[in-house]
Amino acid sequence: MSFRQLMAVVNKEFRHIVRDRSNLFLVLFAPTLVLMIMAYTLTVDLQHIPIAVLDYDHSPISRSFVQQITAGSDLDYYALASSMEEIEDMLMHGEIKAAIIISPSFSQNLLALRGIPMQIIIDGTEPESGAFALDHIGWRTEEFINDALVDQFTAMNISSESLQPIDLRVRTWYNPSLKPRVDLIPGLISMVLGFPALSVALTLAHEREHGTMEQLMATPVGRAALLLGKMIPYVIVGLINAILIPVLAIIWFQIPFNGSFLLFFFLSAIFLFSIVGIGIILGVFIRTQAAALALSFLVIFFPGFFLTGIFFPIAAMPELVRLEAMALPGTHYATITRGVFITGVGLDVLWPYAVMLAGLGAVFFGLAALFFRKKLD
Amino acid sequence: MTISPIIESIGLTRDFKNTRAVDSISVSILPGELFGLVGPDGAGKTTTLRLLAGLLDISEGSARLAGFDLGSQPEMIKPKIGYMAQDFSLYADLSVHENLSFFAEIYQVPPAEIRSRSERLLAFAGLTEFQDRRAAHLSGGMQKKLSLACTLIHQPQILLLDEPTTGVDPISRREFWNILTELHLDGTTILVSTPYMDEADRCSRVALMYQGQIVECDTPARIRGKIRGEMVALYADDWHQAHRVVAGLPGVLEVQNYGELLHILVDSADRRIPEIEASLASQGIGLRGLRAAPARMEEAFISLIRRLEA
Repeated sequence: MSFRQLMAVVNKEFRHIVRDRSNLFLVLFAPTLVLMIMAYTLTVDLQHIPIAVLDYDHSPISRSFVQQITAGSDLDYYALASSMEEIEDMLMHGEIKAAIIISPSFSQNLLALRGIPMQIIIDGTEPESGAFALDHIGWRTEEFINDALVDQFTAMNISSESLQPIDLRVRTWYNPSLKPRVDLIPGLISMVLGFPALSVALTLAHEREHGTMEQLMATPVGRAALLLGKMIPYVIVGLINAILIPVLAIIWFQIPFNGSFLLFFFLSAIFLFSIVGIGIILGVFIRTQAAALALSFLVIFFPGFFLTGIFFPIAAMPELVRLEAMALPGTHYATITRGVFITGVGLDVLWPYAVMLAGLGAVFFGLAALFFRKKLD
Repeated sequence: MTISPIIESIGLTRDFKNTRAVDSISVSILPGELFGLVGPDGAGKTTTLRLLAGLLDISEGSARLAGFDLGSQPEMIKPKIGYMAQDFSLYADLSVHENLSFFAEIYQVPPAEIRSRSERLLAFAGLTEFQDRRAAHLSGGMQKKLSLACTLIHQPQILLLDEPTTGVDPISRREFWNILTELHLDGTTILVSTPYMDEADRCSRVALMYQGQIVECDTPARIRGKIRGEMVALYADDWHQAHRVVAGLPGVLEVQNYGELLHILVDSADRRIPEIEASLASQGIGLRGLRAAPARMEEAFISLIRRLEA
C-alpha cells in the first residue's frame, strides 16, 4: 500500500467533510444530538403511576394505609372507587395502571396479627408500569405493616426493641439511585457512534453516483489505500464525538465516570475502526446513497439497538441471535462503555472485549478489501 | 523495422445482461496516432473505452496496452494511461488546484515535479487564474479542460477520451482540440470518441462503430472516398417539397437534410445538376442555390450507417 496514495485520499476526504457546512455540523453533532433525544425519550424513569383504591374496610387503619402507599411521588392516588365495576372501568380506559382492593377484615386481621387480606390488580398491557406499581405497593405495604406492628406491640407494652419484625434491606450496587439513565447512556453511546459508519457508506455511494469512482478506478490507486483512506477521517470524526459525548453525559446528565478517560478514548478508537469497517463493506456493495442509508439502518442501527444488550439482555436471546450479537461491535463496546463509566474497570477486565473489537475490525476491513474490485458493473 | 502497436485488441467483446455492447473488436493503434472512434449513440464507444481503461471485465477476446495484457495486468497499464469519462467526474467541492494535486499524489508524480507540471498544465488549459475556484463553479468547457489536465498530470503514453467535447460550446471545443493536437504532436497516443464529424476529420485514423462492431476503419480521407457518387448541395424555398421531388429522380442515390439544406448524392454531379434544376422548376419550387460540393465525413458517415441499416 502506498502511503502517498493513502494520505491523498485521507486529505481529500477531510476536505469533503469540512467543505459542506451542513454536513460538517451533522457529522460533528448528530451523534450528540441523537443521544440527547434518545436519553430523554427512552429512559424509563417511572413516576406518578396512577392507582385507584377500593376500600371495603373503611377504618382509620385502612385510610392511613392508603395514605402511606401514595405518599411518595412514584404512585399517584387517582380515585377512591366504590365498586369493582368502577375499578374495571378505570383500568379499561387507561386512567389507572393498578388498583388495590382492601377487604372488609383488613384492620381486624392486621390487629390480630393474622395476615392482611388485600388484592392488587395491575394493567398487564403496560407491563413496565404495572410491574413498577406492584413493586412499590409491595414494599410500601411492608413498611406499613412493620410500623403498625411496632405500634401494636408498644400498645401491648412489649418492648419493640426485643423483636425485629421484618428487616428487609435491598441494595443495588453501582447505580444506587436506580436511575435508568445511568445504565442507558453509556449503552446508547455505542449506538450513536455508529453514525460515522453511515457516513462512510454514503461517501462511497456518492463517489459512484457522481462518476468520481469511475475516475478513481482508472487510476493506479491501491484498493487498501482507497478504503483505508476513506475510513481514517471518519474514525477521527468519531473520536471527536467520543470526547464530546462523555463530557455531555457527565455535565448534563450527571452520570458518573469512574474509569480512565484515556482508556475510553483508546477503546473507542478500536470500536470506531470496526464499526466503520461495516460501513465500508456496505459501501463496497452499494451503488446509491439511498440504498446506503436504508441498509445502514438495517445493518448498523437496528441491530445496534436491539441486539447489543443495551435494552435486552443478550443472555436471554436465542443462541443464533446471540451469535449475531457477538459479531456486532456495539455488543462489546456497550460492555466497555458501561464498564468504564459505571463500574470504572480497567483494561485488565476489558481486554477480551477490546480484542474482539479489533478482530471484528480486521475481519470487516479484510472482507471489504477482498470484495472491492476496481471494475464497473 | 516495424513499430509495434501501443494498443492492440483481438476479438475484444463485452456482454451485458441482454446485449453484446462490444462485439469482437480487433484494432491496432500505433504509438503517436490520434485515433477517432465515431458512431451513433449506443454503438458501444463508451464500453470500448471503459474496457481499454480496465474498468470493465472482458467477456471474450483480449487486448494489450503499452505492452501489458489488459485482462491479467490492468494495474500495470493504469499508470501509463489517462482516462477521461464522458461525464464530469472530478470532485466538484474541491478547487481546480486541489483536484490536480489529488491526482498528482494518486499517480505518485515525483514531488519535485508536481509544481512545474501543475503550472504548465494549468497554463496549457487556460485555468491558471481559476486555480482556487471550486470545480463546481467552472463552466462546462473549463471542467473538461480541468479533467484533461488531471489525466495528463502523470504524463501518460496513452489518452483514452470519451466524448470530451460533448456539451461544450464551439469555442471551447476548438480550444480543446488545439490542446489535443499539441499533445498529438508531442507523440502522445490518443484514442478519442466523438459524435462530431468535423472532429473525426482531425484524426489520423477513424473507426466507425455500429452495433458494437467496427464497420470501417481508415483515414478520414479514405472514409470520405467510400461515399458512393458525388455530392450536390441544394437550397430550395420549400425543402420538404424539394426533398420529395429530388428523391424520386433517376441517378439520385441518397438525400440527407441539414436543416433546410439538402445534400444529394448522385452518380454524376455534372449530369444531374441540370436535371434537378429542371424538375424543381417544373414543380414550381423556387431555387436559391444548387452546386456540386465535396463530401465531408458527415455525409460519408450517414451514408455508411444508412447502408448498414438497409
